[in-house]
Amino acid sequence: MAISRGVTAPELTVIGTPDETQARSRGRWLRRYLPIGIGALMALAMVVIAAAAPWIAPLSPSAQFADAVLKGPGAQDRHLLGTDEFGRDVFSRIIWGARVSLQVGLASVFFAFVIGVPLGILAGVQGRRTETVIMRCADMFMAFPTLLLALIIVTALGGTLTNEVLAIGVALTPNFIRLSRSLSLTIREQDYILAARALGGGQIRVMARHVFPNALYALVVVGTLYIATAIRTEAGLSFLGLGIPPPTPSWGNILSEGRQYIKCCPWITTFSGLAIMLAVLAFNLVGDSLRDLLDPRLKGE
Amino acid sequence: MISYVLRRLLVAIPMLLGAMSIVFFAMRVLPGDPCVAMMGDQATTAALADCTKNLGLNRPLPVQYADYLWRSIRFDFGNSFRQGYPVNEYIGRMFPHTLVLVLASAVVAALVGVPIGILSALKRRNPLIDYPLRIFALLGLSMPVFWLGILLLIVFSLRLDLFPLIGGGDLDGVMALIRSGEVFLYPRDFLAAVGDVLWHLALPALALGFTLAATVSRLSRSAMLEVISQDYIRTARSKGQTERAVVYKHALRNMMVPLLTIIGLFVAIALTGTVLTETVFTRPGLGKMLVDSIGARDYPLAQGAITVFTMIIIAVNLIVDMLYAVVDPRITYR
Repeated sequence: MAISRGVTAPELTVIGTPDETQARSRGRWLRRYLPIGIGALMALAMVVIAAAAPWIAPLSPSAQFADAVLKGPGAQDRHLLGTDEFGRDVFSRIIWGARVSLQVGLASVFFAFVIGVPLGILAGVQGRRTETVIMRCADMFMAFPTLLLALIIVTALGGTLTNEVLAIGVALTPNFIRLSRSLSLTIREQDYILAARALGGGQIRVMARHVFPNALYALVVVGTLYIATAIRTEAGLSFLGLGIPPPTPSWGNILSEGRQYIKCCPWITTFSGLAIMLAVLAFNLVGDSLRDLLDPRLKGE
Repeated sequence: MISYVLRRLLVAIPMLLGAMSIVFFAMRVLPGDPCVAMMGDQATTAALADCTKNLGLNRPLPVQYADYLWRSIRFDFGNSFRQGYPVNEYIGRMFPHTLVLVLASAVVAALVGVPIGILSALKRRNPLIDYPLRIFALLGLSMPVFWLGILLLIVFSLRLDLFPLIGGGDLDGVMALIRSGEVFLYPRDFLAAVGDVLWHLALPALALGFTLAATVSRLSRSAMLEVISQDYIRTARSKGQTERAVVYKHALRNMMVPLLTIIGLFVAIALTGTVLTETVFTRPGLGKMLVDSIGARDYPLAQGAITVFTMIIIAVNLIVDMLYAVVDPRITYR
């Protein structure tokens, strides 16, 4: 192996016996696809749980069991993960809470994508004044960290599902503008863009049919990672008491409500936080491995 | 260089103005009324009207806006609706708390994150080392700081009773001793106060630092990977230098530029993190002040907090951009 040290070319690795090679390639295959497999499974599970919450949840998320207020978790119990201060089943509330997180996570990234990508491509392809105006506006919003911007918007509008989507979506938009602009800056110099123009393709046609498809891979990869960011931001907003108000369960507000009871009943905060972490982890895993697999250009971003 | 700095500062003005305008109007469209928030819904209409008048909220919006901007130019953010005293004084008291939190978590993040990032870049071909490190980074990246904070509180404050549950320690005492120059007169008091601050700081800094360490480790991993694949590294290796010399003399030095980028990003992320961290640990600071002031509809306080946040981020980015030219002679600004 000494010969290959420092040289990245894979053909210099020592070639072993057929058996060894096979084992190594199997190992490599596993190493390549295991993380994305795990991540995709977790994300899929979350989607299923959120969609089928009414059938999966053992109890109603709002039913108050007066005989079991702040009861600890137990495997043999009616309340697998214990109950909160109103005697509501934490397990069922967490299952229902997946709906809020997933809806906000997906919808806000969709929003940011739909608004940000056309603007970014326009800025990148058009250049000149259009670019300056779009990028300055994006920079202005970029000066705020995502959570702060979302926090300001959601306080202004009030904590509902739509407003949270809007707030996080707006906060994420500049990221998509920046990325799609920088991608289209390279793409617009390619020969096939020249060819498309020579064939009489108008500006909009070139952007929609040629620039956008070539930027799509990278955008989807980063979009997946931003779903993770959006879920974490939503949880943060709810934790600060600015998200969806309490009777409706969301992971953030379950955790926030449980904060007063960490002394006696740590399970409320522990499990709701675990749910947040697993969800964010799932999308991070998928995004990360997708990036490594699909788009070497983005490696290390 | 000077003209570059001036140009950057000129660009920063509309950014700051935009940020301040966003906060101003966002606060005004808020459904709650600051007077109702202060006096409760039992207050009489006359009292409410009086309060509105006193706070200057009965003036037309453009007038309020112009007044706010004009005062802000002179760094006067007005008086807090609730507490009555100047926002500046408030920010001055809260800023040190946030600063020590950011610094301490930066130390934690750097101590944990940089070695992990570099190690996982150098040993990326060894799955036994690379994999656990990457999993660690992913976990840190996915763990919300408020959850980690609560877990730490449950274990170290409630169960083991080692650290305090709330508060920021006697930072005011430390500051007073330093300001009055009595540090050397009462070294014991000073050390006790510093100790108290650190004792209150330990868990928050650990929580915030750990979640940031993940980001730092990723960024330094990719920075190291970028550097290590450069031609001069191959040259150094082919000269027969030891791996150690290659890493320390060539790779690390050239990592200064990406490292600066990391620091710039770090400040923005860490400042956001303080909002959540200070809330979880019930610590005084700018972040908690922001959240509380929004809840109390304390317009001047919230505007002041946001303005300070934005100014810090813009300033740090500018400084980082200038430092690029210092650490890397190839970068020049015109």
